Amino acid sequence: MNALLTSAVAGLTAGGTYALLGVCAVFTYRLVAVVNFAGAAIGTAGTFVLIALYEAGFPIWPSVLAGIAAGTAVGVAVGYIMTRWFSEAGASTKAAVTVALLVGLIAVGLRLTGGQHPHNMPELFPGSAFRLAGVEVTIASVLTIGLAALFTVLSDLFLNRTKVGLNLRALADRPMAAELLGIRVQLLSLLVWGMTGAFTTFALMIIAPQRSPNFMTLSLLVVPALAAALVGLFRSFWRTLAGGIALGVVEGLASSVDSISQYRSAIPFLVVLAVLLWSQREARWDEAR
Amino acid sequence: MSKLVISDLSINRAELPVVSSVDMAVESGAISVVLGANGAGKTTLLEGLSGIIPVAGGTIAIDEAEIQKARPGARSRAGLAHVEQGRTVFRQLTTEENLKVSLHPSADIAEAYALFPELVQRRAVKASLLSGGEQQMLVIARALLTRPKVLLIDEMSAGLAPVIVSRLMTAVRKLADGGLAVLLVEQFAALALSIGNRAYVMRRGRVVHDGDCAGLLKAPDELHRLYLGG
Repeated sequence: MNALLTSAVAGLTAGGTYALLGVCAVFTYRLVAVVNFAGAAIGTAGTFVLIALYEAGFPIWPSVLAGIAAGTAVGVAVGYIMTRWFSEAGASTKAAVTVALLVGLIAVGLRLTGGQHPHNMPELFPGSAFRLAGVEVTIASVLTIGLAALFTVLSDLFLNRTKVGLNLRALADRPMAAELLGIRVQLLSLLVWGMTGAFTTFALMIIAPQRSPNFMTLSLLVVPALAAALVGLFRSFWRTLAGGIALGVVEGLASSVDSISQYRSAIPFLVVLAVLLWSQREARWDEAR
Repeated sequence: MSKLVISDLSINRAELPVVSSVDMAVESGAISVVLGANGAGKTTLLEGLSGIIPVAGGTIAIDEAEIQKARPGARSRAGLAHVEQGRTVFRQLTTEENLKVSLHPSADIAEAYALFPELVQRRAVKASLLSGGEQQMLVIARALLTRPKVLLIDEMSAGLAPVIVSRLMTAVRKLADGGLAVLLVEQFAALALSIGNRAYVMRRGRVVHDGDCAGLLKAPDELHRLYLGG
């Protein structure tokens, strides 16, 4: 029983990261109508700037800031491509473009970072925060979940209490009508891409030491992130937050059961499948009748 | 005194000419009415003016400043407001939030409620739940709050009851009397001519008549001939 609890708690760090990446995916989808498959790759680019600077001997916290700045810049660059050339495209075309960008970022990233070559990723927040039922809960777990919850609360407040948030909601509803009212659509869209780039980078910096820190592995964290976003049906920040944490916990539990531990990376796919089937149940039922 | 001047304007859709060599002018305090059968190029003209689609040639100037190469947002900031066809309210926002989106620093939401008092009771209601007439009032009021010099209005009567259309026409006349230059595209020719000053009739993308509204209102046969050609 204690082993299961330990595994579940161990999954909290990953869960917090999935939740934060998922909330960023929902934020991007709700405000600029893009299912962003390149989200984690953008954060990975920033994370590898941190790794490169750290390996070159630079002090850690300035390197973290430089990495976040780089992740923000890559997010803005991807956003520029999407708003400059694909603003009028349909949702599926936009999603396909982000898949292409994901492949491109991974290819460039692997080339620049030496492929599968192991890197020395500093642990930003080592140690234990507290004990839960006899199990150590790491500072990294608390931070990733806290960051995800903070981003969720801030997103809600930002969208509902500020003029910029109001303009973003208008932009999400009818981009052309918003632009016709003089709203600086491109600037606001780039703001969304930059914000999600910064938060994604910081989340990946926290989780990277626990993963194999190569460009491919971190970039593909987009899969559980989108699974979490799907739990929130790409609308609800809070459901996405809960979905991401639950996904991490289930993965952690699965790792403690020998017979299924090797299949735990398939769990996000199963969640995606289950949510899609569940969300389509009424249509299927009507068809069956 | 503000003035919108359109010179030799051409607009293509999918590389096919839809509007060709159009010259028009609208001055503050006046309503210019654009009439024509379906497919005459009226909506394309307004979309080209506001920047929704690019123009192929010619110039668009507000107070002598050319805007034909600017993005829609920049044209709005230059003083052009476009009330699109189809009542484009922000559906998930309330009436008041819709008005706040467009609120110019020198404007006051009270101006919108003064123009359409019907909206006061509906200020906290989601725009998607408003009636068609209320939605049309909202988009006109929203455009007003951007502090425009020129207001383009496309088919505001579409799908609305005559009593509501009449109410909207009165409001638009009031806006023009307050100093706005209004370019009104309308299918209800008689109603539009009754509030307008200058009338343009378009056929197959070209202006085939340019005259005063009163004259055209008294000659329905002439209007019919202009619509259909011959």
